[in-house]
Amino acid sequence: MVDLSEYLPILLFLGVALVLSSLFVFGPMALNHVTGAYKPNADKLAEYECGFPAFEDARAQFDVRFYLVAILFIIFDLEAAFLYPWAVSLDKIGWTGWFAMMGFLVELVIGFAYAWKKGALEWE
Amino acid sequence: MIGLMHYLVVGAILFVLGVLGIFLNRKNVIIILMSVELILLAVNINLVAFSVYLGDLVGQIFAMFVLTVAAGEAAIGLAILVIYFRGRGTIAVDDINRMKG
Amino acid sequence: MSYAESLSLTLSEVILAAGALVLLLVAGWAGDKATRLISWIAVVLLAVAGLALLGPAGAAFGGQYQADSFAAFAKVLIYFAAGASILIAPRFFQLADGSHMGLRAEYPILILLACVGMGMMVSAGDLLSLYVGLELNSLAAYVLASFMRSDQRSAEAGLKYFVLGALASGILLYGISLVYGFTGTTAFDGIAKAYGDGVSMGELFGLVFVFAGLAFKVSAVPFHMWTPDVYEGAPTPVTTFFASAPKVAALCMAIRVAVVAMGPAAHQWQQIVIFAALASTILGGVAAINQTNIKRLLAYSSINNVGFALIGLAAGTQQGIAAVLTYLAVYVVMTIGSFVCVLQMRDAEGRPIEAISALAGLSRSRPGLSAAFAIFMFSLAGIPPLFGFWPKFLVFDAAVAVGLLPLAAVGIATSVIGAFYYIKIVKIIYFDEPGEEVFAANNNVVETGLMLLTALAVSPIGYLAIPVLGQLSDRAAGSLF
Repeated sequence: MVDLSEYLPILLFLGVALVLSSLFVFGPMALNHVTGAYKPNADKLAEYECGFPAFEDARAQFDVRFYLVAILFIIFDLEAAFLYPWAVSLDKIGWTGWFAMMGFLVELVIGFAYAWKKGALEWE
Repeated sequence: MIGLMHYLVVGAILFVLGVLGIFLNRKNVIIILMSVELILLAVNINLVAFSVYLGDLVGQIFAMFVLTVAAGEAAIGLAILVIYFRGRGTIAVDDINRMKG
Repeated sequence: MSYAESLSLTLSEVILAAGALVLLLVAGWAGDKATRLISWIAVVLLAVAGLALLGPAGAAFGGQYQADSFAAFAKVLIYFAAGASILIAPRFFQLADGSHMGLRAEYPILILLACVGMGMMVSAGDLLSLYVGLELNSLAAYVLASFMRSDQRSAEAGLKYFVLGALASGILLYGISLVYGFTGTTAFDGIAKAYGDGVSMGELFGLVFVFAGLAFKVSAVPFHMWTPDVYEGAPTPVTTFFASAPKVAALCMAIRVAVVAMGPAAHQWQQIVIFAALASTILGGVAAINQTNIKRLLAYSSINNVGFALIGLAAGTQQGIAAVLTYLAVYVVMTIGSFVCVLQMRDAEGRPIEAISALAGLSRSRPGLSAAFAIFMFSLAGIPPLFGFWPKFLVFDAAVAVGLLPLAAVGIATSVIGAFYYIKIVKIIYFDEPGEEVFAANNNVVETGLMLLTALAVSPIGYLAIPVLGQLSDRAAGSLF
């Protein structure tokens, strides 16, 4: 049987995180409710920044441009995952490791430059 | 106690679900993409479980490579899907039938 | 071994990868105007990488990468096939694409990247480098299959190839994870040691999954279903590439896994390989008979040929592997030649025609092209005066030498069935009444040159190459044992 007491720090951490995060979320809301004026109009209720009406059929088609952004994001996001193990083991792998990673990064930058030049980063 | 066997069983179940998802799905190609990811993640569970069991890091390094390749695969899959959709206006599995024989 | 020494052993891959990256930047800034320039530079790079194969042999990166004569033999074939598929592309895309946009500059670069991946595949000494190489090749291939964006069939081919290719990678990977877990290593020599101490249930499952994944990649029956659709839908130069280079790479990779990593379990994988070989030769021969599309027919022909090559692997001896290598060398030349012939099937505006019936009576309007077609068809059928007979003879000989007499007998029987549809095409060309379809004349030096070169190589003149080819393939096979 696993000794559950080993996991006590995690439980504590979760509890503290839950309390703090709900404080950050609900605190300002409560404050607003007490102090702010509530006068909604169409412009105020419109969603902003993400550009999507929030309440629609879930099967609606996405704009294809979201896919293009997602494709680029997936690639550059996950390639960066290699940087973490590299960074923590750099003292062991030495210059060999440094040069290997620089080669990898140069390749990544070339790919990025190509995507940029081809206009994949433009929205319109 | 959760041992190696449990992880392998979870991995096997996910793998089978992924394969079935590809063959039984009659709706949408996006679901096939998700099934492919499921297969790769099943493999990752196997690799990491074996890696911890053997006390050998290679399995975890392998899992990292699988993750990045899976990302590249998903990206290319989506890109091909976008081209396909532009040409046909549908991504239903039943409509992918231009060639037969 | 230092990092620099390891890099020097992988010189041909380094040349191709660095060249492809530089060309990618050129393609980004200069656009499609530079396609012709980039294509020629890519071909030169392939030639330089081929010369770099003459460098020393050895194991690089802690055994992840093996530079030996087996890998070098495979890479020469791969680079040749890749170069040919780059050279025949610009004209095809210029004419076939309705928009007359011409070939996009990324085409040769994708082929170069696929070549880096295939080089890794045939040189892999570890399951990790094998997987990364395989995916590098596959990801480039998915894009190539759907390269003609205006054509719906091309997009569908890309989609099908992607889904089934990803599934194959998943199956292979699952096998790899089991092999790793039950042998405790991903290095080929370590795996061989673990299999040498007896094959446990887990190891056996790993082996089965790995071979199922490999069978997918070489498109052997029962994992062949993607091949006809992808070959039909992909643009013809891309189909040429698929039918030649990745086939060689996947088969050589399968050979290295079977012989080097799982050699001690030969008894187990032999059953799988024998089954795949039999099923491929039979299905490839029978299913091709009713095809009306020439590219589909050649797809079944490639399945059939993979079956014959697997007969040599099933033997599992050095003689058998050498026979497979000879087979692949001749197969690549025959395939490229026959696809260049298919490229000539264009209507007056240059759009491709793929119906076999359009070939009727071709001998009256285009005697040269008809002769080339006939040479390749007879050679694919393995009819003696032509060079296609020789490698078939070698694989049967190797199979008989280890007592696989029934396998060889079935192989010979199916090659007779296969001969039927090859000869049917020759009959259509020479004896049928010509239809109203007239092919546009060919005035392209590259295509004519390639056709002549490959036709000469598979004609009886090819037999002059037997001493050299035999020695090279024997040495290459010897480096595995």
